[in-house]
Amino acid sequence: MNYIDVEKLRDDFPILKKEINGNPLIYFDNAATSQRPKQVIDGIKYFYENINANPIRSIHSLAEQATLEYGKAREKVAKFINADPDEIVFVRNTTEAINLVSFSLPFKNGDRISTTYLEHHSNLLPWMRLKEKGVEIDIVNTNEHFELDMDYYKHIPKGTRLVAVTHASNVTGTVTDIKEITQLAHEQGALVLVDAAQSIPHLPFNVKDIGADFIAFSGHKMLGPFGVGVLYIKKEVSKNLGPFLTGGEMIKDVNMTKIVYENSPTLFEAGTQNIEGAYGLGLAIDYLNSVGMKNIENYEKALTSYLYENAKNLENVEVYSGKSKNFLGIFSFNVKGLHSHDTAYLLDKKGIAVRSGFHCAQPLIEERLKLPGATRASLYFYNTKEEVDKFIEELSKVAIKYGR
Amino acid sequence: MEDDKFYELVELYRNPEHFGKPTKYNCSSEGYSPSCGDKFSVYLEVENNIIKDASFDGRGCVISTVSLSKLCSYLIGKKLNFVDSLNLESIKQLVGIDELSISRVKCATVGLDAIKKISAESNKV
Ligand SMILES: Cc1ncc(COP(=O)(O)O)c(C=O)c1O
Repeated sequence: MNYIDVEKLRDDFPILKKEINGNPLIYFDNAATSQRPKQVIDGIKYFYENINANPIRSIHSLAEQATLEYGKAREKVAKFINADPDEIVFVRNTTEAINLVSFSLPFKNGDRISTTYLEHHSNLLPWMRLKEKGVEIDIVNTNEHFELDMDYYKHIPKGTRLVAVTHASNVTGTVTDIKEITQLAHEQGALVLVDAAQSIPHLPFNVKDIGADFIAFSGHKMLGPFGVGVLYIKKEVSKNLGPFLTGGEMIKDVNMTKIVYENSPTLFEAGTQNIEGAYGLGLAIDYLNSVGMKNIENYEKALTSYLYENAKNLENVEVYSGKSKNFLGIFSFNVKGLHSHDTAYLLDKKGIAVRSGFHCAQPLIEERLKLPGATRASLYFYNTKEEVDKFIEELSKVAIKYGR
Repeated sequence: MEDDKFYELVELYRNPEHFGKPTKYNCSSEGYSPSCGDKFSVYLEVENNIIKDASFDGRGCVISTVSLSKLCSYLIGKKLNFVDSLNLESIKQLVGIDELSISRVKCATVGLDAIKKISAESNKV
């Protein structure tokens, strides 16, 4: 696990020094949101003290600097995933990114869209809403290891316009083969949207290599501020999209009889944007680059294996994640006979923050796992072996005392 | 909450009183808390506005299950509209806990809200 100097990096995250209920915080809820390093927290303060103005529209010096920084943030995001800056649209989060595509791609009666059982609600509900327009929605199933049914993608039903798929599941941890899926979908004439909310924070990501048409992710899960996310739209595809929100900035020319719209990404950034957020996300990306995404991936892999290895001996614990060939640092489980909320409550008393409930993936949890909820520990690169040891120790105590 | 108190609640949760769908009831309603996934059905046998019997089934956490179970015991023999006067504090008293974190408030009241719906319906007729 020598890929990174974790103790040194932890010093950058002030919140990790906190005590919760009299115990040192063990933050294992990274799939919900990550913590932020002081480089990002202080950077946002710096922004307001030195750069703040409404970019693009005003021409004074401060506004020009804000415009410059906003552009730099876009370049950083683009470079981070190997895209071009004008393929990057700033949005609020993954949810908004996917909704944007669902509104702006002109779907019509009889079109088909596919999504999967592994999805977060944000990659299900925007598509299900299109049923009102007469669009058919196919839900791709998984096998017992929670891997997607690749046969479906080899024979995509005729009329399928868009294949929507997650890169990594926030419940089972499954990493899907989005490169293969994209290739198959393109061969059959469908566009591809990838929900990368759980993957981009954790591994090197190259859109040119993958080839997907739309990629959605959230800043807050990758050290960035809340309220800023990214929608990548492949250049060749952007001209097929209509406007999403309309108003300031997204037009070239307006009079009362005629409107000429801007091109992407400006077309999709109506109104004053979250400049602080984009700036902060740029700083988060600087931080991730300084650690190195490959190092992060390798470190998390080793830490995740360590967790799973130690969890093998737990009594009265049922594990639902980590069954696929590829998976990320997600450990979903229940103490037998205990509701996930109660398990989370008992771990919280020991300072361990985990998530419980449906994880916004109710069809997966209720229909596939047949559960009323699950408890989830999710790791990031600032977590340590010692924290995993403590988690296993406390979980084991809970499971012995309350499990059956 | 003290560990002992929680342990006691878990014991009640394993085998809650008034659990199970009865053969005889004349009102029912659903309680649902989407973020947690607590899902209950409540069944009442009401005669002359008096609750003769109360029971429930479904799934939820320790707090929601024990709260609803205790509430059923408490309501039997009382007027249906009496439930309108109850609130989170009443549930905390019934369960015997004095503190409850905000994220668990919904758990404590999911059953109460379901029974209040029955009472509201009866006022309409
Ligand atoms: C796989 C996945 N997709 C989408 C989202 C939604 O992200 P956001 O709430 O930032 O829009 C999440 C967040 O939990 C997620 O795990």
